[in-house]
Amino acid sequence: MALPQDPLWYKNAIIYQVHVRTFFDSSGDGIGDFRGLTQKLDYLQELGITALWLMPFFPSPLRDDGYDIADYRSVHPSYGTVDDFKKFLTSAHERGIRVVIEMVLNHTSDQHAWFQESRSSKDNPRRDWYVWSETDTRYRGARIIFLDTEMSNWAWDPISKSYYWHRFFNHQPDLNYDNAAVREEMWDIMKSWLEMGVDGFRLDAVPYLVEREGTSCENLPETHVIIKELRRKLDEQFPGRLLLAEANQWPADLRQYFGEGDEFHMAFHFPIMPRMFMGLKLEDRKPIIDILQQTPEIPEVCQWCLFLRNHDELTLEMVTDVERDYMYDVYARDKPMRLNMGIRRRLAPLLENDRRRIELMNGMLLSLPGTPIIYYGDEIGMGDNVFLGDRNGVRTPMQWDGGWNAGFSTADPESLYSPLILNPLYGYPAVNVQSQRRSEHSILAWMKRIIGVRKSTQVFGRGSIEFLHPANHRVLAYVRQLKSETALVVNNLSSSAQAVELDLKRYEGNILIEMFGKNIFPRVGKLPYLLTLGPYQFFWFRLRKI
Amino acid sequence: MLEACLAERSVLNDDFLRQLISVGEVDLLVGLPTFNNAKTLGPVVQAIRAGLLKHFPRERAVIINVDGGSRDSTPELVKAASITDLQLSSEVYTLRTLHSISTISGHGAATGPALHTIMAAAELLRAQACAVISPESINIDPAWLERLFRPVYRDHFDFVTPTYRRHKFDGLLLRNLLYPIMRALYAKRIREPYPSDFAFSGRFCNHFLEQDTFDHDESGSGTEISLVILAIAGSFRICQSFLGTKARAHRDSAELVPAMRHSVGPLFSSLDTNFPIWSANDGAQPVPTFGPESELTAESVRVNRKQLHQMFTSGVAELEPVLKSILSPQTLLEIQNIAKVVEDDFRYSHELWVKTVYEFAASYHKSVISRDHIIQAMAPLYRGKMYNFLVENRDASGEDVEANVEALCRTFERLKPSLLERWDGRK
Repeated sequence: MALPQDPLWYKNAIIYQVHVRTFFDSSGDGIGDFRGLTQKLDYLQELGITALWLMPFFPSPLRDDGYDIADYRSVHPSYGTVDDFKKFLTSAHERGIRVVIEMVLNHTSDQHAWFQESRSSKDNPRRDWYVWSETDTRYRGARIIFLDTEMSNWAWDPISKSYYWHRFFNHQPDLNYDNAAVREEMWDIMKSWLEMGVDGFRLDAVPYLVEREGTSCENLPETHVIIKELRRKLDEQFPGRLLLAEANQWPADLRQYFGEGDEFHMAFHFPIMPRMFMGLKLEDRKPIIDILQQTPEIPEVCQWCLFLRNHDELTLEMVTDVERDYMYDVYARDKPMRLNMGIRRRLAPLLENDRRRIELMNGMLLSLPGTPIIYYGDEIGMGDNVFLGDRNGVRTPMQWDGGWNAGFSTADPESLYSPLILNPLYGYPAVNVQSQRRSEHSILAWMKRIIGVRKSTQVFGRGSIEFLHPANHRVLAYVRQLKSETALVVNNLSSSAQAVELDLKRYEGNILIEMFGKNIFPRVGKLPYLLTLGPYQFFWFRLRKI
Repeated sequence: MLEACLAERSVLNDDFLRQLISVGEVDLLVGLPTFNNAKTLGPVVQAIRAGLLKHFPRERAVIINVDGGSRDSTPELVKAASITDLQLSSEVYTLRTLHSISTISGHGAATGPALHTIMAAAELLRAQACAVISPESINIDPAWLERLFRPVYRDHFDFVTPTYRRHKFDGLLLRNLLYPIMRALYAKRIREPYPSDFAFSGRFCNHFLEQDTFDHDESGSGTEISLVILAIAGSFRICQSFLGTKARAHRDSAELVPAMRHSVGPLFSSLDTNFPIWSANDGAQPVPTFGPESELTAESVRVNRKQLHQMFTSGVAELEPVLKSILSPQTLLEIQNIAKVVEDDFRYSHELWVKTVYEFAASYHKSVISRDHIIQAMAPLYRGKMYNFLVENRDASGEDVEANVEALCRTFERLKPSLLERWDGRK
């Protein structure tokens, strides 16, 4: 299958996020690898996803799950070789699946050769590749992100006897983007992967690239200059490839990262995710509409990325104190579930394994404006282990079957990179791909179905959105429109059945066709359109004037 | 029960029902009965909204206005308090939608039908706690919501009556009649048995709706005091909660008879059905109270006492034939005697006042004449007692007034046997 030649492919993509380490171990060493991932591409094709986002797979001491890169040009030996990667890439493309890889621009591991050189001497040519200071008092306006572990954004280096700047863990020194050599080198690295055929990059922690005194050191104009330069080179040399921004910011601040369509193609919409969970628990659409109304328009060629869960904690940075307290109380009562300013849990446990809520949340994920990202394992309702450190509880091995090591690896269980989920509710004997493949009514089967429906139209990926405002606040309803195609989405956020009257006057005369069963609903007339919805039920309708 | 009631004669019109469907299940419901209150309503609605958002940000809440058919913009003022995704407020932050809805009862100023509608809505919405706020409570602050709701929502009380900080000459009907007689007969020391701001539980609401008597009360009068009596008679958990300063009421003397119809009338009526309860009570029990039971202020105010005295004396003279049919000869004679006394020497003793009231109650029970005429006839005598109270307490401190009220209460309690004697016809 050839990749479709659509420069805006990302707008209709269904992205699947996976870490090579977690997916499938082909070598029997207890760690997932590229050969294993390649073997499982048929599964992903069957699921219906159209793009993969791979978490960092570069050589790394793995003190931050690979986000501490020690060599940007190679593959971590545990995951295979560059050749393995190339074969994987070719196989994915053959199945119509694009591959987006991680690029951590902001910082390296302190084990990276650049940093080792930089710290070795103040006269070293790479000294200025990092941000050094004789004091720890500069850039006081910058907040500390990892509050649970870091006391300062400066760390003392006993070798060079000075402080280095780090916005994340102290073993992740920030690169100095005021240095042209750094910028050149990073582009050269990106270029080498693009030449191999990768379809895009998720650029990690982009708001923090540049530091300036008297500022928050986030979202600075100088950062945008750097992004624009990267984008210009990308478009010139590799048209059709993608830049995806990871910037945990409010929508208004994020808007800058799209520029005039000359910075990022896509950016994660972080604040909507906690509000979807909040809206569901409150049984009230207000938090969702509030944040979407605060979301600015973006250039036509750009797109938001939506997700329910990912490899990090469910971040609560972009909520108010009242909202954060509420989210902790309703989704993370037990302390081990909380980390930094968020909740380290997977989708199914967050939703108490309630199939209806899992479907509703995925229904919204796939019908709100943006490109959806599905986190590996969530398509089968995998659980988590909040007793593993850091965010490792949501990064456990993929559960393929109910046999040895969940079908993930032939290694001894003790040698797996992470313990498997074993509890009776979410453990691999109960939740696995093989058993769900056998049932037409499993979550996996349902996910395939909804992805298929989403892909049957471009309206969800590219259409405009207009919220309806029925008096019943438990119902979230919106109309998506792309040229002559119109879809109506109605979500019941409540645990009880609801009646709702929709003002569809504009669509008078249209027939509603339910998009899953293709059944016809009554024609829209002059009166409000009355619908009844069961608990957590949702409808996707195509509106047709026949 | 409710379904049957609605089927026969619904208090919920279709438009209101549609609004209720949109509101859905709630934790807290604030009822706001109104009639031409636009001039004072704005701050009241704002305080209610602020109170809900501040003290109960996570709870599902609704403000329900039942309007008597205002010709000003009263319902619009209430509806404007909504916070939805269409009516986002830049000044306030809310976690969830707050509905503020309105319906017309068409019963004018009568609060009974409005309360009935509010309670029917509360049952449909499965409200755990409901508060009713008077649109005239212009001194309301957001904390009132917390003080009314918390005893029900958190402490599982079923009925919350208010206590206030009042001027010593405010609430005279309460202090000279309603509180003492309720205390003597129903054995509960409820300071505001005729409340305009109060709260109740969903459980109590369901009980109310099961009472046929309220279904047939077309006049809609006196529901507030009837609710208190219903709570007592049903052995519901009652408490009092101090709200704050009650704004001084500026009542016209012509409003006395309607006020007595709405309070004394239902109270006397309740004695018929609740005879087994009040006749067996022995000794008033204190009611759990959050905050002070009563606070009286004593700043000097101008009161037209002379008019009260005149109305008393003329009433006693003009209504003599009526009073003869209600009062015992001895009591009537004593009243006629004090009516002859000059203003400065006038004294309507507690003992005589209590006898008067009990004899009116017994005559009301026996319907010796039209019950409404009995209530009307009581008004001039009450004015005499009021005159006496104002004179006696002209220079009194709040504590002195309290002591005076306490003495009156004890007199009501001491003479309760005389009412029982009259009730069963021995006198």
